[in-house]
Amino acid sequence: MSARLKWTSLAVIALVFGALALRALEAPPAAHFAAPRSGAADASSKPLYKSQLLPNSSAQVHSATAVELADGRLRAFWYGGTREGAPDVAIYTSAYSPKEDTWSPERAVMTRELAQRQLHRHVRKLGNPVAGRDPAGRIWLFFVSVSVGGWAGSAINATVSSDEGATWSPPRRLITSPFLNISTLVKGPLLRLADGTLALPVYHEMLGKFGELLRLDGEGRVIGKTRLSWGKSSLQPVVVPRSETEAVAFMRYSGDPPARVLMSRTRDAGVHWSEPLKTALPNPNAAVGGVLLEGGPLVLAFNNAEENRESLSLAVSSDFGDSWRVARTLESEAQLPRAPVAEYSYPWIMQDRAGDVHVLYTWGRSRIKHAVFNRAWLEGGG
Amino acid sequence: MAATTAFGLLGCGLLCAALLAALARLQRWPLRVRYAAALAAVALLLFPFGDVSPAGYVRGLTGDLSAVTLALAANALAGALRGRPLFGGRDVDALLAATAAAGLFLYPFALGWTPFDPYALGYGSIAFITALLLLTLAAWRAGLTPVVLVVLLAALAFLGGVYESRNLWDYLVDPLAGLYALVTLAAGRVRRYFSRAASARA
Repeated sequence: MSARLKWTSLAVIALVFGALALRALEAPPAAHFAAPRSGAADASSKPLYKSQLLPNSSAQVHSATAVELADGRLRAFWYGGTREGAPDVAIYTSAYSPKEDTWSPERAVMTRELAQRQLHRHVRKLGNPVAGRDPAGRIWLFFVSVSVGGWAGSAINATVSSDEGATWSPPRRLITSPFLNISTLVKGPLLRLADGTLALPVYHEMLGKFGELLRLDGEGRVIGKTRLSWGKSSLQPVVVPRSETEAVAFMRYSGDPPARVLMSRTRDAGVHWSEPLKTALPNPNAAVGGVLLEGGPLVLAFNNAEENRESLSLAVSSDFGDSWRVARTLESEAQLPRAPVAEYSYPWIMQDRAGDVHVLYTWGRSRIKHAVFNRAWLEGGG
Repeated sequence: MAATTAFGLLGCGLLCAALLAALARLQRWPLRVRYAAALAAVALLLFPFGDVSPAGYVRGLTGDLSAVTLALAANALAGALRGRPLFGGRDVDALLAATAAAGLFLYPFALGWTPFDPYALGYGSIAFITALLLLTLAAWRAGLTPVVLVVLLAALAFLGGVYESRNLWDYLVDPLAGLYALVTLAAGRVRRYFSRAASARA
């Protein structure tokens, strides 16, 4: 190499690495959680509880998620098909009107073929969806897809709607893992951060099982991540902030007995997380749902057994997860009607702007069930 | 089609073309036929049959390919087309050694066995960029031009947002390159060991 070329190449190295350093310095610093809604706890009204099955037509359905619409309705999403993992599995949606207490007919938002065509990649099957809203008011729908193998071969995709779910953008692939970008799945709700970026709890299933919190920019690109847990036994994180800096993460547990819901804490807005510890609540290797009610307690929807998903309960904590009381049972052997397959799982819990709490969950693998209740009903459970 | 998609498909097309050229022993064909066959293969790999092109199927399995994989694929394809690769010998050994070292650092930790996650460094860690700069300067000082070029190619692609990823690691290395580097280096060691043993016996 000539001396001139050698020094020119050194100058190019300096320029390129200068640009890399500049990019790193311009990266958004760690952001606080968006402050949770604060409102007075209103448990004085009459107890309200009602439930119904959604109008889904697929033989098997699973993994419901929902977002509140601008007009006060609820839009739910789930995946359904002839069976889990089948090529005909699609992501469906339906909207709930609280005034009429009815769900609209379902329609498919994303099919395997559409995802494959728009992602320009082979897609073998679709899985868990998660819906959420960004600060601009757009609805994001994240969903799992698999190109090869089982769920350990999953990747996450995102599509966005600016018209309350009527139309959707072509999906974009989230790049989350150095292993050919496989083995990342989604189940927990999207979080808003104070600087306008988003945080999405995800989990990995290849060899290890652990949770992470992805940070997304306004276009849904992954711009950072933090590990919520490590090892081989924690997955499907649900992160619930209490303030701009404090949050808890609940995780499904897949390790040795005793089988308990896992919990981790952060006090620095998710920069560091405590080692996940077992709570007093049982967990039969199943997803949980959590929400902090306005001005009130932390509520966890969970399967109240170590071995099966035959009961679904609501636990309440007034000290942000230190202690728990089982407040209500949504499904159990005593509840009627019973599903043909006694499995009540994958709860999604959220509070709407009117203060009512909604739980959507898989009912016997064949239907999605919606329960809506208020604080008075929850706290009247003894 | 988004530019990120086009670049991803082109990369997968290049890898497939290099593999096909190796399988077909392209270097034994007449020169014009080689180029014609390579062009036809690339066109077919990028042409969508149904929803997805063959390159799209590969992309579904591999994701977008790193600069190391693309450099090794381009080198192999050039070797098949021109009869000699773009770079070889010491340069290839150095590139493989750097790739294997990066893979051994990145992949075991990325499996979540510890709280430490080196992959997160790729989103904009000054420490990571400094370490990469030092390695690049060492390669520059040693005259390992292909190693320097691969790092610069990866960095420029990252800065330009050529792929969907915003993580520098994804532009530098991927598991295909890591595995290939480890296997090739290990095979080289084994070959040298047996060759030395045979010489000693003789």
